[in-house]
Amino acid sequence: MKRFLILLFVAIAGTSAFAQVSYQRLLNAEKEPQNWLTYAGSYKSHRYSPLTLINRQNAGQLKLAWAYQMQRSGVVETSPIVVDGVMYLTEPPNSTVTALDTRSGRTLWTYTPNIPPDVIVIGSPPVNRGVAILDESVFVGTVHGHLIALDAKSGTVRWDTTVEDNKHGFYLTLSPLALDGKIIVGVSGAETGIRGFVDAYDAKTGKLVWRTYTVPAPGEPGSETWGKGDGWKTGGGSTWLTGSYDPELNLLYWATGNPAPDWNADNRPGDNLYTDSVLALDPGTGKMKWHFQFTPEDVHDWDANETLVLFDAPVNGRERKLIAQANRNGFYYVLDRATGEYLVSAPYAKQTWADGIDAKGKPIRKKGIAPSLDGTLVFPNIQGASNWFSPSYSPQTKLFYQAAREMGTIYYKGDAVYKPGTAFTGGGGRAVNGDVASGAIRALDATTGKMKWEFPLLSPGWTSLLSTGGGLLFGGTEEGNFFALDAESGKPLWDIQLGGAVRGIPISYSVDGKQYIAISAGVTLYVFTV
Amino acid sequence: MKQLIRFGVVLLAIVLPRVSGAQSAADVQAGKVLFGHLCVTCHGFDGAGGAGPPLNRAKLVNAPDDAALRTIIADGIPSRGMPRVRRTLDSEQRQLVAYVRSLGRTARPASRGDAKKGTELYAKLNCAACHIVKGQGGTLGPELTDIGVQRGPQYLRQALLEPGAVLPNSTLRVQGPGYSEFLPVRVVMKDGAEVRGIRVNEDLFTIQLRDTSGKFHSIRKSNAEVIRKEPNASLMPSFAGKMSEAELDDLVAYLSNLGGLQ
Repeated sequence: MKRFLILLFVAIAGTSAFAQVSYQRLLNAEKEPQNWLTYAGSYKSHRYSPLTLINRQNAGQLKLAWAYQMQRSGVVETSPIVVDGVMYLTEPPNSTVTALDTRSGRTLWTYTPNIPPDVIVIGSPPVNRGVAILDESVFVGTVHGHLIALDAKSGTVRWDTTVEDNKHGFYLTLSPLALDGKIIVGVSGAETGIRGFVDAYDAKTGKLVWRTYTVPAPGEPGSETWGKGDGWKTGGGSTWLTGSYDPELNLLYWATGNPAPDWNADNRPGDNLYTDSVLALDPGTGKMKWHFQFTPEDVHDWDANETLVLFDAPVNGRERKLIAQANRNGFYYVLDRATGEYLVSAPYAKQTWADGIDAKGKPIRKKGIAPSLDGTLVFPNIQGASNWFSPSYSPQTKLFYQAAREMGTIYYKGDAVYKPGTAFTGGGGRAVNGDVASGAIRALDATTGKMKWEFPLLSPGWTSLLSTGGGLLFGGTEEGNFFALDAESGKPLWDIQLGGAVRGIPISYSVDGKQYIAISAGVTLYVFTV
Repeated sequence: MKQLIRFGVVLLAIVLPRVSGAQSAADVQAGKVLFGHLCVTCHGFDGAGGAGPPLNRAKLVNAPDDAALRTIIADGIPSRGMPRVRRTLDSEQRQLVAYVRSLGRTARPASRGDAKKGTELYAKLNCAACHIVKGQGGTLGPELTDIGVQRGPQYLRQALLEPGAVLPNSTLRVQGPGYSEFLPVRVVMKDGAEVRGIRVNEDLFTIQLRDTSGKFHSIRKSNAEVIRKEPNASLMPSFAGKMSEAELDDLVAYLSNLGGLQ
């Protein structure tokens, strides 16, 4: 009998389309190019697929395989994950999770959390950027401030944890990051004056393992950068995009957002650590090992939450472990990811606020760039030269691909009055948009930030990029174009009009010996193949 | 003492309404200052209008009551091209409402022109060849049925003198916010064929034009040798030097009255 049960178990495990995703599989995600197991494809956040079936030679023959219409209207910024023939994606505006059959596009299950109608989402649309998977569960952060574990086979809730009270403006839009037994999340909400943090939860139980605040309390290191008042209590420093992880150094990298109120620093004189920074954390304890701040005493809402890309390369003749980011403030940065040492920076978009970056990595700020009552024109714009949308790094070309937004904003300063769950921004800005604004996809030498080529865009986009082993780079436009470029030269090889702004995040996977490219535009997910 | 208290109560009763009246005047004043910082670029000095609608009117189309006006001040009307310049506090919204409403109470400056004469000029100059008013006219240029509600007299005057300097934007909801509409574009194809027309739409790889005969042209950019946008030009002729000052005033008066709200 016992032997029969064992045999039965083996048989079921062998045929299941829903295989378990162990931490070991996540660690070795690059060895499963048929799948897309994490938000950015791997812990290094390259958004690179080694698949070669779609390549420079046949990209011109790309055609639609299937499409999926989402259930509600909204802004779609999801990056699907794909596991053994099943795709998991999220849908706005209520943090819906849907599982699809990757062969046919048909729905396997869908789950929508119970979001109250008076949910507070200030600072972005109620988007969701995707799920994480670990063992037999998928994990979603919600706009009402919860982290929920769902059974990967059925979408049934395993646990539902309140990360922080949405009545105070906390909400989640990011794809969680699954580590060994832990689920890491950050929060949105600096525009309501939250105090940001990074949290680790037990993947089995949903219990909080550790919390690391991004704004220090009085007496803690960094608290001297907030003046003597109580500005730190409402200091912002959101943590709204997925971090990266180096298992060898055992360091978790998480980036932080703007100080609050965004455009008025009267009550927060100083650098405002650890806002607009990258933090290197011990994933076991949440303890900060090092930090680097990109924009001290920010008054332009230039969150530093952008994707952190990990790669190794020689710098000045010495092989280094590096971490790179195309920051919202218009500069591309390269740091040593073991120590946080600043190595390189270079502007990758028009900026009018700094005369450069000094030897320590601090910006040399120009005069007269602060928001004012009548408005001050500064580049980059209020949403930044970059933002949440993913860059891509190709180990093949050693290029860092980034969509740059070329636009100015007239920044206004206003008063800010803190009232929990309401806007606490101290001003705002008016975009100088239309025909005078533009964009470009830029291919940067990853170690120096020097531009190798650029592909101009009609307008400042929100396009994420995907590079592939087939030598391609995929991206899109606000006007609905989706296209493939030659990753070496930037030459366009294929394009199609999808009828809605391309704000989804592209991925690639393969099933039954065919490679697919998935992208959302408008409220539809399209899947292409050759 | 009791008498003193009674006297105090009476005094308060007299003073209180005046205090609230004074606050309202203070709101109007504070609102005026805010208006100068945030609104004047589009709505003009004293709310006389510009590229944005005149606000010195008793009735505002999109803001029939104070609550609606407050919502517009708080959020803008993104679909009509009005941005939220910045977030405003509740008190600032109240002040702006007070000021904008005060503009509607003061007499609107008398139009210098004679709208009736302007009607005749509109016909004589054959403006209807390119513009629709109440369903009648041609379609090369923008519809003018509600133009007096949408634009201020200064803007309309400039549009007659330098039409290319004030191309409208964000009225057609085809392209994104801020894009020039009725933008002239000249395209020379690789086979030598040439098209000039107004841009109807554009994406990264294609552009759609409408020429003066009303014909649409769909162009794949990679098939074009030259694509020249003319941001300071218009297909509308300038009327500078072709009308007397008085005639210009009359035509502006006619256009300013279109839309029906005085």
